[in-house]
Amino acid sequence: MNALQVFFAMGGYARYVWPAYAVFFIVLIADSIAPRLRRRRELRQLRARMARQEARSAGCILPTPSST
Amino acid sequence: MTRPGLTAACGAMLRRDLTLAWRRRSDIAMPVLYALIVTMLFPFALGPEDALLQRIAGGVILVTVLLAMLLALDAMFSSDIDDGSLEQLVLVPQPLAVMLAMKILAHWLTTALPLIVITPLLAAMLHLPASVIPVLLLALLLCTPLLSLFGAILVALTAGTRRSGMLLALMLLPLCVPALIFAAGAVAAAQQGLSWIAPISWLAATLVLTLVLAPLACAVALRIALDS
Amino acid sequence: MSNWIPLWLHKLSSPPTFYRFAGVLRPWALALALVFGVIGLYGGLVLAPPDYQQGDAYRIIFIHVPCAWMSMFIYAIMGVSAFVALVWRIKLAEVVAMQSAPIGAAFTFITLVTGSLWGKPMWGTWWTWDARLTSELVLLFLYLGVIGLYQAFEDRRQGARAAGFLAIIGVINVPIVHFSVDWWNTLHQGSTVNIFGPSKISWDMLWPLLAMTLATKFYYAASLFLRAQTDLLSMESGKDWVRRIAASEVDQ
Repeated sequence: MNALQVFFAMGGYARYVWPAYAVFFIVLIADSIAPRLRRRRELRQLRARMARQEARSAGCILPTPSST
Repeated sequence: MTRPGLTAACGAMLRRDLTLAWRRRSDIAMPVLYALIVTMLFPFALGPEDALLQRIAGGVILVTVLLAMLLALDAMFSSDIDDGSLEQLVLVPQPLAVMLAMKILAHWLTTALPLIVITPLLAAMLHLPASVIPVLLLALLLCTPLLSLFGAILVALTAGTRRSGMLLALMLLPLCVPALIFAAGAVAAAQQGLSWIAPISWLAATLVLTLVLAPLACAVALRIALDS
Repeated sequence: MSNWIPLWLHKLSSPPTFYRFAGVLRPWALALALVFGVIGLYGGLVLAPPDYQQGDAYRIIFIHVPCAWMSMFIYAIMGVSAFVALVWRIKLAEVVAMQSAPIGAAFTFITLVTGSLWGKPMWGTWWTWDARLTSELVLLFLYLGVIGLYQAFEDRRQGARAAGFLAIIGVINVPIVHFSVDWWNTLHQGSTVNIFGPSKISWDMLWPLLAMTLATKFYYAASLFLRAQTDLLSMESGKDWVRRIAASEVDQ
């Protein structure tokens, strides 16, 4: 066995150690992606609302009532 | 205009809530029926051996009573929120905490007391030895007011939300762990012939502390939830 | 001389100032978290020698213990800022309290899962009703209760105050749970596993642990800043400063 295999075998405890580290990284990555997605969604909604307001103030009549 | 004294106001509050509860008697019966049915299910699920049922009886009854109270908890303030009388209550000149304590007392009398009354029946269904039943009743007498008081804080917090019973369970059940542990500990100790004074004393001490603090916390929670 | 601190704090608690402040600090916090994380993981997984009793299984400690510390640390932060929010009605304190909750729940979840993955080879069981484990589980339920209550309200500030109050009740409750489960364990002697005996940890194992602790602290800061920024954006979406940001940041 080469050194890398020894490292990944974790002295026979690989099936406990690596899942633990996997959970750690998966949960934290999910935790850091969630606000990024939310931020993008919020900004997109806000831009849409700003565009609607601009269109209204320019004199267009919108088919849907805006909920601002 | 003379304002009524605190005792008169408390009496009126209690009388009102009890009258309202009495007018809807079937609501009082529901938690009792629920507890009976849940207790009935355990022997069918686990088998009818006396020894096994005796061993689990105390815990099963405590958890069943806890869940039955949880079911009834949602209704503590809901009708008062719907008809707006809770907002009136916040405005009365008497201290809100005391008024809420009366409401909690009325709720305890109408939901927990019937459950305690039928507890000997539940205990008999699970073959709990008769000598343990007084300890079980004492534990329930100390434990159910704790649940009502904790529950009142949480129900007050959720007063301003769309109603959600699951959320109430999620918030209340972790808070109940200590009360359940001590109540069940007392019953288990009595069953093994050991002294059950220690856990009962802990429960009583916790109850005294909660009795003082919970109405105040409930008042704060209600002001938060109704303030908009 | 001493009133520049309250002044500075007062200024910082205004949403646009905090937004900029968080934006400046966030990359640094994230970079520090990554640096300390890489150092700690290298030290813990490669350099540290295997434990003479537990072999390599103990290497879970390098994520389990920092996450357990974080789960309590974040709860403390949440409780304190909820208290500040309730007493002084500072909007930023509400944001910090409520945006800490999901991060704390994530760390608590990691603690529980890694603890059970560590417990299986060491004590032969995934779970035991020990006071620490039970308190940690109750802590997770408290986090979830806070998040659930916050989201049950239509009005966000009202939700933050109500959930903050629940968090404060929880601060009182967690030690009581810990104590009562300890008491319960003495009653049920048979089922206790003596897990946390006094042990000396060698320096080779300690420094990666400390590095990972710092990494999780900085990660929390970075994640909190991002969440708080996002929350401020949606909370203040009618204000000019948010509109300027929305107009200047066109993604995809």
